[in-house]
Amino acid sequence: MAASFSLPRRLYLSLYNWTLLFGWCQVLYFVLKTLKESGHERVYNAAEKPFLLAQTAALLELLHGLVGLVRSPITSTLPQIGSRLYLTWGILWSFPESHVLVTSLLISWSITEIIRYSFFGFKEAFGFYPPWLLWLRYSSFIIFYPIGISSEVGLIYIALPFIKASERYCIRMPNKWNLSIDYFYGAIFAMAIYVPGSPHLYTYMLGQRKKALSKSKIE
Amino acid sequence: MKVTVVSRSGREVVKGGIQLDDSATVADLQEAIHKRTKKHPSRQRLTLPVQPGSKERPVVLNYKKSLKDFTSGNSETLTVVFKDLGPQVSYRTLFFCEYLGPLLLYPVFYYFPVYQYFGYKGERVIHPVQTYALYYWCFHYAKRILETFFVHRFSHATSPLSNVFRNCAYYWTFGSFIAYYVNHPLYTPVGDLQMKIGFGFGILCQISNFYCHIILKNLRRPDGEGGYQIPKGFLFNIVTCANYTTEIYQWLGFNIATQTIAGYIFLVVATFIMTNWAFAKHRRLRKLFDGKDGRPRYPRRWIILPPFL
Repeated sequence: MAASFSLPRRLYLSLYNWTLLFGWCQVLYFVLKTLKESGHERVYNAAEKPFLLAQTAALLELLHGLVGLVRSPITSTLPQIGSRLYLTWGILWSFPESHVLVTSLLISWSITEIIRYSFFGFKEAFGFYPPWLLWLRYSSFIIFYPIGISSEVGLIYIALPFIKASERYCIRMPNKWNLSIDYFYGAIFAMAIYVPGSPHLYTYMLGQRKKALSKSKIE
Repeated sequence: MKVTVVSRSGREVVKGGIQLDDSATVADLQEAIHKRTKKHPSRQRLTLPVQPGSKERPVVLNYKKSLKDFTSGNSETLTVVFKDLGPQVSYRTLFFCEYLGPLLLYPVFYYFPVYQYFGYKGERVIHPVQTYALYYWCFHYAKRILETFFVHRFSHATSPLSNVFRNCAYYWTFGSFIAYYVNHPLYTPVGDLQMKIGFGFGILCQISNFYCHIILKNLRRPDGEGGYQIPKGFLFNIVTCANYTTEIYQWLGFNIATQTIAGYIFLVVATFIMTNWAFAKHRRLRKLFDGKDGRPRYPRRWIILPPFL
């Protein structure tokens, strides 16, 4: 399939995937280094810059899907990237924490992304991927989704008192456009979405795993 | 004749098949299948088998036709493919449920002291625009319900049951969302002139919308025969889905008069949904009325929102 696409596309996507791979390796490196040297409280500060950059760069993937550069439908990439950016900027950057859940979050996200970007990096640059990488991509979620999801919900929950007290991102009435935004209730709503959302996503991934791993056996 | 009923995977749905008169209709067949499978005719989708690998769309058996129309020469046996569409409700039931929510929920925010549960204590001052908005809104949904029972002619009798939950969630949630903001104790009204322009324009569009529905009703033959006609008359001469156009502009009028972000969000979403329907309808009509074989050519028209689409 890689051969049937143009060279500029492959070059660009290889560059994108390998760059992001490097970015997330950097995040993981800073997390582990800080853990070893000073403990989990300093992890967010140490990893913040590469983390914000790597996660925000994923916005490009929306563009890739929209212009047809990759096949992923926007209906699946949009919620995925949306939730990541909400956690990244809406919770972690806005209400910085030194809780151990930040560490578990950053570890699950960075390992998942390292596997994902190296998978696509191989595919785009070399036209193939090692079978163990395929296995990793479709199996690592089994432990990292529960860890990541618990960390995400936990971090939103911990941030709640700070969100309420700060009034940040809130719009109060009265105003000309009769609009109100209560970021606190928004955060509660976000946590509520995880209740139906997580089992749905997990079972979806299990189905994808079955398809991908059985297909590779046939090949 | 003997009818064999199979599923799409080839499994026999009715063991041993069904024996019917040669003069039987599809409706008779559906009744017989109903007796054997307990699946009501409205959830049976019966088609003729398609050659494996063929890209053609299967021929659907219409309930009015004779079974003879579908046997090719050999009128002793017929094989039909059965698909269960799942539990169905009539369109009238579906529309009534989805419209009843907004009709009843909106006045709750106007008349009852709900805002104290959101932390707003004390007296509420009601602005005239909020009262007019209540009348406008309730008129709109009452009109929709009356049209459902007395005006609209539906091409399909039923819709899947799951649509009841999906559609009611959409209408009831948005209805409450808008009602919350328009009737809010801290609501800021717009100027008098803007309100009058908004509601006036909106009422005009609602009346036009009603007239569009009358025209669409008269396009359909009263025996429910179905089939497509080129819409003509009034705004249909320049835009294919004039009924959606008037509906969208009617909500715009409401929003100009009440000015809430919630209302505008609803307008954008509703416009998006109706535009998708309009594109499909326009495409279907243009494909059907291609000017060949004595069929008229579909005239050049706006799809839904002149002068943009």
